[in-house]
Amino acid sequence: MLPPASRREFLSRASGGFGALALAGMLNEQAVAGENPLAPRRGHHVARADRVIFLYSTGGTSHIDTFNYRPQLASDHGKSITASRWLNKSGEFKRFLIRPRYKFQQHGQNGAWVSELFPQLASVIDDVCVLNAMHCESDGHDKATLAAHTGSAQFARPSAGSWVSYGLGTVNQNLPSFMVLAPAAPYAGAQTWASDFLPACHQGTHVVPGKEPLPNIRPRVSDPELQKLELGLLDRINRSHLRDRAADQALDARIRSFETAFGMQREAPEAFDLSQETEATLKLYGVEREATSGFGWQCLVARRLAERGVRFLELIDVGSNSNWDSHGNMADHERLAKAIDQPVAGLLTDLKQRGMLDRTLVVWTTEFGRTPFNQKADHPGREHHNLCFSSWMAGGGIKGGLVHGESDEYGIRTANNAVHTHDLHATMLHLLGINHEHLTYRHAGRDYRLTDVAGRIVQEIIS
Amino acid sequence: MWSSSHNPIALLVSGLIALSLPECHGDDDAAFFEARIRPLLIRHCIQCHGPKKQEGGLRLDTRRGWLSGGDRGAAIVPDAPDKSLLITAVSYSDSDLRMPPEKQLSDQEIRDLSDWIRNGAFDPRLTDEQPKQRMSLDEARDFWSFQPLKRPAVPENQNDQWSRTAIDTFIMAGLQNKGLTPVTDADRRTLIRRATFDLTGMPPTAEEIRAFLNDESPDAFASLVDRLLSSPAYGERWGRHWLDVARYADTAGDGADYPVREAVKYRDWVIRAFNRDQPFDEFVREQIAGDILATQGPRALYADRVTATGFLAIGKRYGYKASPDYQHLDFADVIDSVGRSLMGLSIGCARCHDHKYDPISAEDYYALYGIFQSTKWAFPGGEEQKRPAHFPALVPPDEAAGLEQAKKNQLAKVDSQLMALSQEKSALDPATRGGGPDLDIEAQKSGERPGDPWVCSGPIEVTPNAQSPFTHVHPAGKQGVRLGSGQPTDGLRYVFSNGLRATPGKKMHFTVDFRPVAGATEEGAFRFYLGRGVVQSLAIECSATSTEFALRNGTQWETIRRLTPGTWYTLQVTIDPHSKTYSGVVGTRDDLTAFTDRKTGPSWDGIADCFICDAFGHIPGAACARDIDNLGLQSEPFASVDSPPVQPSTVAPDARARLAEIQAQVEKLKAQRKKLAVADVYPVAYAVSEDKPVNASLQHRGEPHRTGNEVARRNLHVLGGDSLRDPHVSGRLDLANWLTRPTNPLTARVFVNRVWQWHFGRGIVPTASDFGSRGTPPTHPELLDWLTVQFIESGWSVKSLHRLILSSRTWQLSSAAHAGNLVTDPSNNWYWRHSRRALDAESVRDGMLAVSGNLERTIPGPHPFPPVNTWGFTIHHPFHAVYDSNHRSVYLMVQRNRRHPYLALFDAADPNQSVAGRQPTTTPTQALYLMNSPFVHEQARGFASRILQVPGNDETRLRWAFETAHGRIPDQVVLDDAQAFVEIYRSRLENDEQSDANQTAAWSALARVLLTGNGFLFVD
Repeated sequence: MLPPASRREFLSRASGGFGALALAGMLNEQAVAGENPLAPRRGHHVARADRVIFLYSTGGTSHIDTFNYRPQLASDHGKSITASRWLNKSGEFKRFLIRPRYKFQQHGQNGAWVSELFPQLASVIDDVCVLNAMHCESDGHDKATLAAHTGSAQFARPSAGSWVSYGLGTVNQNLPSFMVLAPAAPYAGAQTWASDFLPACHQGTHVVPGKEPLPNIRPRVSDPELQKLELGLLDRINRSHLRDRAADQALDARIRSFETAFGMQREAPEAFDLSQETEATLKLYGVEREATSGFGWQCLVARRLAERGVRFLELIDVGSNSNWDSHGNMADHERLAKAIDQPVAGLLTDLKQRGMLDRTLVVWTTEFGRTPFNQKADHPGREHHNLCFSSWMAGGGIKGGLVHGESDEYGIRTANNAVHTHDLHATMLHLLGINHEHLTYRHAGRDYRLTDVAGRIVQEIIS
Repeated sequence: MWSSSHNPIALLVSGLIALSLPECHGDDDAAFFEARIRPLLIRHCIQCHGPKKQEGGLRLDTRRGWLSGGDRGAAIVPDAPDKSLLITAVSYSDSDLRMPPEKQLSDQEIRDLSDWIRNGAFDPRLTDEQPKQRMSLDEARDFWSFQPLKRPAVPENQNDQWSRTAIDTFIMAGLQNKGLTPVTDADRRTLIRRATFDLTGMPPTAEEIRAFLNDESPDAFASLVDRLLSSPAYGERWGRHWLDVARYADTAGDGADYPVREAVKYRDWVIRAFNRDQPFDEFVREQIAGDILATQGPRALYADRVTATGFLAIGKRYGYKASPDYQHLDFADVIDSVGRSLMGLSIGCARCHDHKYDPISAEDYYALYGIFQSTKWAFPGGEEQKRPAHFPALVPPDEAAGLEQAKKNQLAKVDSQLMALSQEKSALDPATRGGGPDLDIEAQKSGERPGDPWVCSGPIEVTPNAQSPFTHVHPAGKQGVRLGSGQPTDGLRYVFSNGLRATPGKKMHFTVDFRPVAGATEEGAFRFYLGRGVVQSLAIECSATSTEFALRNGTQWETIRRLTPGTWYTLQVTIDPHSKTYSGVVGTRDDLTAFTDRKTGPSWDGIADCFICDAFGHIPGAACARDIDNLGLQSEPFASVDSPPVQPSTVAPDARARLAEIQAQVEKLKAQRKKLAVADVYPVAYAVSEDKPVNASLQHRGEPHRTGNEVARRNLHVLGGDSLRDPHVSGRLDLANWLTRPTNPLTARVFVNRVWQWHFGRGIVPTASDFGSRGTPPTHPELLDWLTVQFIESGWSVKSLHRLILSSRTWQLSSAAHAGNLVTDPSNNWYWRHSRRALDAESVRDGMLAVSGNLERTIPGPHPFPPVNTWGFTIHHPFHAVYDSNHRSVYLMVQRNRRHPYLALFDAADPNQSVAGRQPTTTPTQALYLMNSPFVHEQARGFASRILQVPGNDETRLRWAFETAHGRIPDQVVLDDAQAFVEIYRSRLENDEQSDANQTAAWSALARVLLTGNGFLFVD
């Protein structure tokens, strides 16, 4: 009997087999059949960041209660204004201004305003660049969620993480390039992280926090020696099959996928195992020992996956219900902010302590903001508002402590330095070394981009 | 959007141009334009309103651009800055039109623009700087895919010893031209595995392989193909191909992703159509206009033809309600899908503007839009309207009407039986009169809202404080109902399970006690309604404020008497349904006011089965809180107000047996009625039908509320531009005929190319759904035309096309490599070999089920969706399910929004849009599934138990196993290796080596290796 293929053999083949790819900047060309589409590639220019951790708050976080301090909204509370949009309809609507529910204070060396909803994040605000004049086209959850992820509100398109995976590949072949840690799907479901027309290896691998975060990751053959025996035979039979079918890279790719999967069986559970983390680290993220879910768990696992070379990590805090969609009562924002404040601040602190923040781009966004006005001045809730909202970026290549963009005095419309979701995507890609106009894929007769036919790099926030 | 990027080159160029000004204008105008206006436009406007982009349809890089303007009309009116939209935009005076959007121009710049326009808006930029790229209709005449079909000559080459069929001669000509050499022919084992997967999506059995190897007749292969084409598995395989193109799913696809129970009817129709080799032109016509063709007979085809239009209905839906207001995105889906799937044209691109490259205008788009807008669409259910609607019947209208009438009659019969029983019961048991004591108010929980069968809205409470003092109708009780809200829509409702209907000689009697609460000051009125249903047919209506009581007399309100807050009143009404009048009394025991011969609601239909107390009374405004109690409705008179108190009644002993009998009968009849009421009168389909014919208006930028000129429904100009024969129908039948007439250059070509692609993995036109100028042109245009002409001449027979292609030497080539060819043509674009292909998701799963012996070969019934009366799916709580089954994968429930985990993992078609071709990928997560999923382990166990049933020794078993899974037996080294593996595996297991469990475990491990090996997952 032939000796079983060892793990070392697997690894040496993965890095040196004929699937290995010359590190050429060939972003414009579609991968040749059989070539490892996930092999790491160079971008168009020198990158400022190697990876992205994309934090997404589902439902529409209020900008005027978090990062966009509008004192005049407080002083003009109860005054009527004429809104040009209301519940997805254009027209003229008499509405009443409603003061922010939460108190603001200045934080950090540059005195950035942050509300009391995010006390921990406020303590690291000098590492964060707040974008206070974000805007997008749609005020429906599905459409705006898709726009924030894929650049298209209407049609199925690849997610930003898929584009990055397609553009840059990934350095650790034992883990997927694009992983999504989410307890539940946001609006638009898995379309949010779909690769759509890009090859499916670029799709986000959805990890549901819990006891079995990666389906089928646990060997069903309980004795690892027996599984090795089995995979060894599979490998030999496949190679014998391959010998008669010279130079077929698709066959080789399938053989290689078993090698990676075998690697994942070992490496992924370890990446998800927090038992080696110190009490101090757990505390930093606000995670209970033994926890297998919660946003702190997601953030900590994200750091561990980032350390292991995953290119694009998306963390979604809540699904399509019980989320930031506070129509009824803005008091609900308190619960939601509390759930992410410590974990997010912990993530930024931890990345910085480990020297990873310089090369990790952290982005937080939501689908849209919430109306600074409502039908009555004493209405406790706020409606969807896409004309102006807030996001923030931190880490690789971003100027910390900056507040970029300003709205009008009430937070209704952007006033200067507006940043569209297309611009946010363009800037993300730029920091990763990718020219967003040149990262294209030919599909159905035309070249598609993440940024469609728009997108402006927000140079002002780049350090 | 306008950008504020600075462009030094633009400034330099403008300086040069200033030297060569047209003479007819004053130098001042020209100089002003060049110095102030041109740089300004370049700096702030042209990026979004120039040659690259035309936001809002507007260009500002030529005079003609701003004169004709964008969606909102001309941007500049020379001499009139105040009428020029450009000035409106830059001055930020209109909140919806602010340009440039990011930062307002300086005051000086705005002044410059105004001055320029005031002085006539001199602009030397007279011509477009960029030629238009879109193909004109003239140019389209020369474009390959719009050329009429004609039969090309088959290449003749005396030296061609290789070709066996006409297809081969076309292929050989291409190979020779490129200096390529075809590889050897495939062996027989390869052929039968390839043909079986290709035509049926499943592997050949070991027995089938042996039979084919042993068939020495010259037409052995042709017989094999015939056998496969007549297998029901053929339609399941090729039907699935079509379902990819048709974007088939079992759910609707809006945020709530409603299940569609009837979708499977379309799926099964497609499978049957392939199996019976329905002519493809008819297949297309029925999918576009089957409902119209159905009315032309014969009756036997009616259901199938209506079902076929599921092709249109089955796309991703966007709406929340069954209303055309929500449908413009549904129409966008259907136009895009019809364009791509049948014509190979991206017509959808012409939704917001004329197609940028292909000869399709926005008018073309809205001409088709009108056809679909004139069509009624089955509505699957959605967030706002949670029940399906408008599903067309699968029986002709007269038959449907008959069935509906029959159902009505059956229901009426049950109702009259129930009524008779109820009357008999009332006669025997006084307590059940008029709906029982207080309509069961006495039985309700105190301190809460009255429960079923009462329906409440607003603050309502059952309370001892609302007990009426009157005892002439019901015995003294303990509680009544307090209605606390004056909101008009708040109130309560009671539906009598056996209402009264006009019966000769019988009158209807109604009573209620009520009291405006003490201290009430509200001025609005509350009302009592009695009639059929929720104000569907009004019998009587009374209304009261805290101080007065009124009646509706016909259409007029009439005030009857004064009331005092805090005092209980009783109301008794006797209705004569025949004279449509009513009389009665209202008041206290000592102070009764009588009224006679008032008119009921003028259009009352004689049925009284619903009582409502809300606040839509005779005086608008908030109504006072009020108590009500002692309700009753019956066909016998109630005791008069001055009667002695009613004592709790008892039933005569001899009536008890009969009452029990009645009760049993009533329950039986009620169950029968419920079943009857929800039973489908006739089967329906998720399909379309004719609606009111309308022309659509052009929509600027695809926004339905920004409409332009009306566009008459017609064919695309590039395909003839034909008008409708009859504008009084939708035009779908015309569209179906335009698509399938012999002069249409696209439909047959597009489909033949798809069939070729499904056989070879690559189309003659590689972009199977784009035959326009942005698609890839055909590698073998003459071959495509020759095949298409053959196809049409065969009567659009798809099976004939398969036979033609599979009989070619080209299809029968091996997948061997060839060093020279691999350099010249690595992707095998010229067919020097048969490209090896990975099995698709369905074939992997079906193949495993077949080999394991677990495959269920029947056609399954409907999906086990939850019952429709429980549907409440919303965007926040969307429908989601995964149903396990051992049927073929084409029958799995395909969910649109949250995809089936297996189908998604193995790259099955994404049902959100028409899929031109699968994009197979190879990912570690797929490998994890193959290594560790319960499904694969289950099938491997099944396979192992079949292996163990093979008589003989382990090597015989191994040979059978390899042949069954991979179609061939490997060389001895591999066989020995596999046999050693089984032995070692067995020996490593802790238990006794010979035990059955060990045996099964070891062979299951081998079965997994075979089922997840490349020999199984790829087809040579």
